[in-house]
Amino acid sequence: MTEDRIDLQRRRVFAVGCFGIGAATAGFLAATFRFLVPNVLYEPSRRFDVGSPAQFPSGSVTFLPDRRLYVFNSADGFFAISSLCTHLGCNVKHIGQGFECPCHGSRFDENGRVVQGPAPQPLAWYAISLSPRAQLIVDQDQIVGPEFRLRA
Amino acid sequence: MSLTLGQRTASWLNAVGRSVWRIGWPVTDKDRAAVMISSIFLHIHPARVSRHALRPTYTFALGLITGILFLVLSVTGLALMLYYVPYPPESYRSMKDLAFVVTFGIVLRNMHRWSAHAMVVMVFLHMCRVFWTGSYKAPRQFNWVVGVMLLILTLALSFTGYLLPWDQLAFWAITVGTNIAAYAPLVGDRLKFLLLGGHVIGPMTLLRFYVLHCVMLPLAMLMLISLHVWRVRKDGLSGADVQAMPAPAEEAAGVFPASTKTHGLMALSRRPRASVEARDPNDEVFAWPHLLFRELLVTLAVIVVLHVLSLVFMAPLEEMADPTRTPNPAKAPWYFLGLQELVHYSALVGGVIVPTLIVVALVILPYVYRGRAGAGRWFAPERRVANTIFTALVIISVGLTIIGTLFRGPNWAWVWPWN
Repeated sequence: MTEDRIDLQRRRVFAVGCFGIGAATAGFLAATFRFLVPNVLYEPSRRFDVGSPAQFPSGSVTFLPDRRLYVFNSADGFFAISSLCTHLGCNVKHIGQGFECPCHGSRFDENGRVVQGPAPQPLAWYAISLSPRAQLIVDQDQIVGPEFRLRA
Repeated sequence: MSLTLGQRTASWLNAVGRSVWRIGWPVTDKDRAAVMISSIFLHIHPARVSRHALRPTYTFALGLITGILFLVLSVTGLALMLYYVPYPPESYRSMKDLAFVVTFGIVLRNMHRWSAHAMVVMVFLHMCRVFWTGSYKAPRQFNWVVGVMLLILTLALSFTGYLLPWDQLAFWAITVGTNIAAYAPLVGDRLKFLLLGGHVIGPMTLLRFYVLHCVMLPLAMLMLISLHVWRVRKDGLSGADVQAMPAPAEEAAGVFPASTKTHGLMALSRRPRASVEARDPNDEVFAWPHLLFRELLVTLAVIVVLHVLSLVFMAPLEEMADPTRTPNPAKAPWYFLGLQELVHYSALVGGVIVPTLIVVALVILPYVYRGRAGAGRWFAPERRVANTIFTALVIISVGLTIIGTLFRGPNWAWVWPWN
């Protein structure tokens, strides 16, 4: 084997080695990124029981501070609106027929649509369903439109 | 001739001392220069420095003060870690313990808090100084970029530390801050989820912020500070090649050889091979004592001011974080209140467009605006346009921050601070 051949082989081994280390680094970074995404969330469930329909008198608006949620029992059924302002995540207050955010003065109408202020989106509406044990279940992962009603 | 026990002991101690300090206490300029070069801690400085750069009114020691504050924050932070539990609600109780149970706990906490605020201010002032003196110009363009990264890191460190007390102030400032981050297009929501470790601020968020604040960001900061200081040494002065004095008569006559010393070794980018030495030896003084003495004075002054601040002013601690009760108004940390003021008008503009534009403009500045004139002098007339634009931007950002901090009350409505 000539000197040149040895040199060439050495370079090839070096190139393969560099490629290997590069690939390993990329894989490691991808794995690290995936590692950072939690698989189990130790936080309140996104789907929860808010009580029996009887706890919400007809025509009432109930604020559930722990769930950051308003539950309405209107003439045509139940619906739930989030109290999280879509601007920067403050709790909106139900005032008169609409909602007001204390942080930057956003105002929403009775359906959670933006009337005034910097909020970019209407308040979220969550699906409500009735469990087999006749409890109201709110699912925060299921966003619905303002026409949603759960007839009791 | 036999030595007494005392003489033997002294000689032995002397030998031990010599093994630690190769050069004894230096008494001549030559020895002091040798110490500056051979000590790992002192070789951050050159043996000789230019009088021009040494004038207090040129740099106001702002970079030095920032470095000292980083050191103070590291030391006080390490001490606080011994009592802090990064899990709610214990995290809040450990703040109460630091305030009322631990001896000197409150002083350490105050010092950490006030140093953190001061560091944000000093980094900002340092950036202004570097701009106004044109010191970001070639060959220091890349070091300016490193400086921008350090500014962002400083804000990130301060922001992650803000959540740790787990009081209402912390919780809602981070709520507002992370929701501003969520406005980033495409990745915003995922970024927020990753940062919070979930959908809401909870124990996972606190742990993530704690690890970022205590380990990851300080390590990144330390590496970048090292690079920043290294490059200051290796790059040489901005505009040195333009403003170099004509060669002294002796040099022209061949009495002294022309200086050929350049500092291009192993830097991360190439640089023009301009001499970093002043042409006139009379323009340079020995770093020990001239530079070291000034640094000692500044360090003492910073430590005295921090102690007075920490003994007189208490770091705020409100009631424990309560996700169900939004304080009115809910404010981000003060250095983000300029952005929050903009976010109040438009979330996209204040949360995404303006911060992105600021960072991009700062990073590309030295590569786009390449005129070399006026570097190394305060408010050089050659740089009037650049200085005017920059000063206007500084005034706007400071103004917005002051408005957001002092002039905004409940519902983000305008209030007068004296009412």
